[in-house]
Amino acid sequence: MKPTRRAMLAGLPVIVVSSSCGGRAPRSESRRIVIGVSLMNLSNEFIVMLDRSMEAKARELGVELLVNDAQRDAATQVRQVENFVVQKVDAIVLNPCEVEASSPAVDKAVAGGIPVVNVNSETRSAPTAFVGSSDEESGRIAMGYIAERLGGRGNVVMIDGFMGQAAQIKRDQGAREILAKNPGVRLLAAQTADWDRAKAMTLMENWIQSYGARIGAVFAQNDEMAMGALIALEQAKRKDKVVVAGVDAIADALQAVKNGRLDATVFQDAAGQGAKAIETAVKIVRKEPYDKETYIPFQLVTRENIARFLS
Amino acid sequence: MGPAPVKTSGPMKTSGPMKTSGLMKTSGKGRPAAEWFRSGQVGLIAALALLCAALSAATPVFLTAPNLINLVRQISINGILAVGVTYVLLTGGVDLSLGSVAALAGVVAARFAHPGEYPVVVPVAMGIATGACCGAISGVVAAKGRVAPFIVTLGMMTAARGTALVLSGGRPVSGLSEAFTRIGGSAIGGVPVPILVFFAVALASHLFLKNLKPGRYIYAVGGNENAARASGVGVAGIKALAYTICGSSAGLAGVVLASRITTGQPNAGVGYELDAIAAAVIGGTSLSGGVGGVGGTILGSLFMGVINNGLDLLNVSSYYQQIVKGLIIVGAVWMDRRHGR
Repeated sequence: MKPTRRAMLAGLPVIVVSSSCGGRAPRSESRRIVIGVSLMNLSNEFIVMLDRSMEAKARELGVELLVNDAQRDAATQVRQVENFVVQKVDAIVLNPCEVEASSPAVDKAVAGGIPVVNVNSETRSAPTAFVGSSDEESGRIAMGYIAERLGGRGNVVMIDGFMGQAAQIKRDQGAREILAKNPGVRLLAAQTADWDRAKAMTLMENWIQSYGARIGAVFAQNDEMAMGALIALEQAKRKDKVVVAGVDAIADALQAVKNGRLDATVFQDAAGQGAKAIETAVKIVRKEPYDKETYIPFQLVTRENIARFLS
Repeated sequence: MGPAPVKTSGPMKTSGPMKTSGLMKTSGKGRPAAEWFRSGQVGLIAALALLCAALSAATPVFLTAPNLINLVRQISINGILAVGVTYVLLTGGVDLSLGSVAALAGVVAARFAHPGEYPVVVPVAMGIATGACCGAISGVVAAKGRVAPFIVTLGMMTAARGTALVLSGGRPVSGLSEAFTRIGGSAIGGVPVPILVFFAVALASHLFLKNLKPGRYIYAVGGNENAARASGVGVAGIKALAYTICGSSAGLAGVVLASRITTGQPNAGVGYELDAIAAAVIGGTSLSGGVGGVGGTILGSLFMGVINNGLDLLNVSSYYQQIVKGLIIVGAVWMDRRHGR
């Protein structure tokens, strides 16, 4: 009992201090702009890149960021946004975990009178502004490249991302649009590997057993999985007969494209998205004109143009 | 295969209270063959044979040498983890941190595995040592501090994952030397190295648990802790040892994984602990301690590998794969318990 009571007493002054902070916040007009950021998952390389570009942009513009990591959990994300509303931040940049489940976060911010900029992924509820790329396009670009490399005839296998996530659904959709237009390219099998390299490698090894020489190309919905498939193909000594393409242009994949191991990846501009999201949020707070929707284009990366993407 | 017969070990012979321990009940007397038959693995072998027969009927690819090598290579990481967790389960504990510890060990190893820096033994040793440290911490806190292993290792699971993310800055550690990636990617005499590592770990563990005194004590502690203590076994020390061995094997599994996927991934191995525990339990190791062994764990691991491989070969939709997997796991243990006892 004793330690519990002591802990409660110790907690009291903290509560007082923090509530007085909250009360002070909206007082002066000239104070620094504060933006609350809730990110999907800071243990994902792409999101880490997004975060770094946002922090760099915030330093440049002299605004303060409160960065929270929702760790892939939409309920955590909603709670974080609720906290931002209570803290009376000037704007919220939301990198949604899920299309549906993160929507209440947007609703709560809008109801609290705080502008929301969605970055990278969408929610069903309409935010104040959106900055990102349309994921269907990345699926179209990668599968389009594969169809071209196969000369319009051949078999392809597709490794899906985590089923039900916006990026998986849209990349799948974009890829299937291209397949519908190319009846000569047949989808041999499609299976999820949860964005995970080791799982994709196991899946590819099993596919090499069951389909063997019939596989002409692999489309993996992210680069981690493309790298897993690539290693499996290399170890089975089949890589020279199979085209492999991924999405995201992570460092490892770019290196593999440069070395002629991976055929292609699709560059999604994390830095561009992050910087633009902060810029848009600041414009909204300063009541300057802003774009309601900003689409940062994807770019196909192959050995021909790799130099532009290696820093 | 089954629980080690205690009666042959020197100091145990005189220990009266040991007779009440769980392992005495199942394997106190009888010749090895009969004992093995009663130990409950016949049902599992039957289930495994049935599954293999069904799969080879469904797809001609299943029962080919390349696919079988492929299958065993795929279970080697789960197998190493499952053998490790068998030690902890035998003491009546549990270790939930295996996947995170493997990821941490992989990141640590990868950081020492860039080309031209250290000879390949350094990253391997660092990875295993990282796992051993994590296991030792969990073991000492659980055994000496008397904190429930579930909580201790749950804490370790989160802390190790966090440490892996800190050390890697949230990005995979890539650009590893060829000497390092060869561990997971090459074969000796046609047998992939991960399989050799797995077999070495399994064989060493089997001999350790059956023939060495600390191995017997692990069974004794899990069978009846009070009786073991009364007969002079240092219970806390034995438990800490079990967790340390388990952690080392997680470290080794992490090294093999990092080498296989040619990067140290801070978010690799999510959920591996549950697959490892499932493999050990399918193989007849009791969650309440004292009963089981490495032989069963290998069978359990093989069983889970066959399911994964088979469902992929048949291109079963990923939604249905999860349902089928769940049903087969429970069904196998049920069948095993009915026939074995």
